[in-house]
Amino acid sequence: MSELRCDPILGQWVIVKTVDSLGPDNYKNSGQPLEHEATCQFCPGREHMTPPEVGVIARVDPKTGQQEGWQVRAVSNKFPALKIEGLLDEKRDGMYLQTDGIGAHEVVIETPAHYQNLTDLSDAEMISVLKIYKERVVDLSKDKRFKYIVVFKNYGESAGTTVEHAHSQIIALPMIPKYVQQEIDGAKKYFDTNKNCVFCDMINQEQADKSRLITQNEDFISFCPYVPRYPFESWILPLKHQSEFSEISVDEQTRLALILKETLLRIKRCLNNPSYNFYLHIAPINEARPESYHWHVEIVPKLSSVSGFEWGTGVYVVSTDPDQAASYLRNVAL
Amino acid sequence: MPELRKDPVVNRWVIIAKERARRPGNVIDRQAAEVVDSGQSCIYCAEDKNAIYSKDGIQVIPIRDPLLTDTKEWHPKNFGLYRVIDGTGHHEVVVEAKDHVANMADLDVQQISNVLQVYTERISGLLKDSPYSYFVIYKNYGISAGSRPIAHARSHVVALPIVPLRAQEKIKGAGQYYTKHQCCVYCDLIKQEENCASRVIAQTEHFIAVIPFATRFIFEIQLYPKKHGCHFHEMDLGQTKELAGIIKTILWKIKIGLDDCAYNFIIHSAPVLRGDMDGRQESLSESYHWHIEIMPRLTRIAGFEKGTGFYICSIPPEDMAEYLNGIKL
Repeated sequence: MSELRCDPILGQWVIVKTVDSLGPDNYKNSGQPLEHEATCQFCPGREHMTPPEVGVIARVDPKTGQQEGWQVRAVSNKFPALKIEGLLDEKRDGMYLQTDGIGAHEVVIETPAHYQNLTDLSDAEMISVLKIYKERVVDLSKDKRFKYIVVFKNYGESAGTTVEHAHSQIIALPMIPKYVQQEIDGAKKYFDTNKNCVFCDMINQEQADKSRLITQNEDFISFCPYVPRYPFESWILPLKHQSEFSEISVDEQTRLALILKETLLRIKRCLNNPSYNFYLHIAPINEARPESYHWHVEIVPKLSSVSGFEWGTGVYVVSTDPDQAASYLRNVAL
Repeated sequence: MPELRKDPVVNRWVIIAKERARRPGNVIDRQAAEVVDSGQSCIYCAEDKNAIYSKDGIQVIPIRDPLLTDTKEWHPKNFGLYRVIDGTGHHEVVVEAKDHVANMADLDVQQISNVLQVYTERISGLLKDSPYSYFVIYKNYGISAGSRPIAHARSHVVALPIVPLRAQEKIKGAGQYYTKHQCCVYCDLIKQEENCASRVIAQTEHFIAVIPFATRFIFEIQLYPKKHGCHFHEMDLGQTKELAGIIKTILWKIKIGLDDCAYNFIIHSAPVLRGDMDGRQESLSESYHWHIEIMPRLTRIAGFEKGTGFYICSIPPEDMAEYLNGIKL
């Protein structure tokens, strides 16, 4: 048995298997293979092998309190998908439109330790990662050619990573990506009809219902959305209505780091260290602020593969009921 | 210099990053190419006593363990912000041949033509007997395309009570183009591709296959009927053999040129709006154009694509077309 569920933002229908939902053990996972650190360009001592640094946070020795080396580095991507130099000249060829691929593509090296991942970091180290995300978003927003900044992470081979050393990526784009635009349009439409933010209403419903809640703190909530696209998909939203990620306070930054780390740790323990992606959905930059938008983080464990049905229709088949996914994630021992 | 290109129908931007490109012959991700056969006795080889339809060695059978249940009517409910319908719909499997052959590419043209005819007959039948509005036909070839480990060629026919998001996007984009230009966006696209030819990979009198200008994936292929029509099941049945021929050519090029990789095959057709009173079906007939998408599964989707719907493709479509056109069958 299943349900067809429609999300109130995009109008996307999905199929959720509500009876005989699959539990964590039904998804095959062998953890992540390890490579040798001998040649890793992200390790300390090989800083000269990466392109120039665009941001850095010093490492503080937990025993002595002394600064020593780096904790987080942001560098330009060695194989950028977009080039930073140039102008946006639109060219038209009949019905087709194209421009030069102008943009920024950066890598955030999250820790100097080759065999650590986000879930192994101390709270202070995790906060440094969030701090550099914010710094890079603020800095890249100054470039008037850009309209959107994507902060994302691929963890594990099947989630698309090719380098083992813990890192995330930042891409600045000269146009707003399709999903984000659809979310903004959907949120605006909801706001115009209901005089409320759809994400705020979603938070209220999840807090009242509690069955899809993973965890929450003073500023953030983490839950499995009622209309997911993937099994064990998890979202983190600021409780306060906020369209701009770049405006979070120092306290909010800390609490975001903590809830993100906890959610990732629960996913890791519950699902045997699966590959995953996470990405920030933030408001566009250098444009009028979309007041009805509410920035958030989406975390998607890579557990299943999509078939022609999902590709062809956009109707995702989700084999684990989000109520059950959240229950597994809540109850896993940390 | 990388390029940003915009899809003219759904207005999706993609990055064509030539600098990241390897030569087309080298792009194949070996992991994508397996068709696993569990070796157990094949459930599709035997005659199925539950078959819904049978013709020319083709069996149409109900899917095992269906997620969707057939009903005559359904009642959407609200759950707070959300809309919910009990899992209503129809799902059947078209077993394409009696022989235990995995790839549609290995069927002869006549048999592929028979399969196409069965598709149209099944949709027409479902239209008559069921209340659904959206019909999709697709196939998953190979494990990484979502197939189970049974190497027997089959495809799926699914009927849904709702119009899925991707169909809505295409309908909306095509509708906007029609309002602006008084012409079907796909008809214009076909004309431009015929003229410029650099992305055409196969062509017959009534059909044309191209690598899209704003391609999302390596070797993504779109196959269009040249004559305008919004519903696949209304295609001229005299042309199914011609369509089968071009499908076979494309699937063979994928098999030989791309190392027998996994792929998905999807037929996109307009929804059938039941009890339509306000002329929406009529405008859909003018602005929408059915087509087939064939997607070799050679690359992984990472966080950037998942999160944004913005794709990075490391080979220009013109180079992909050149590569496929260089493959001698």
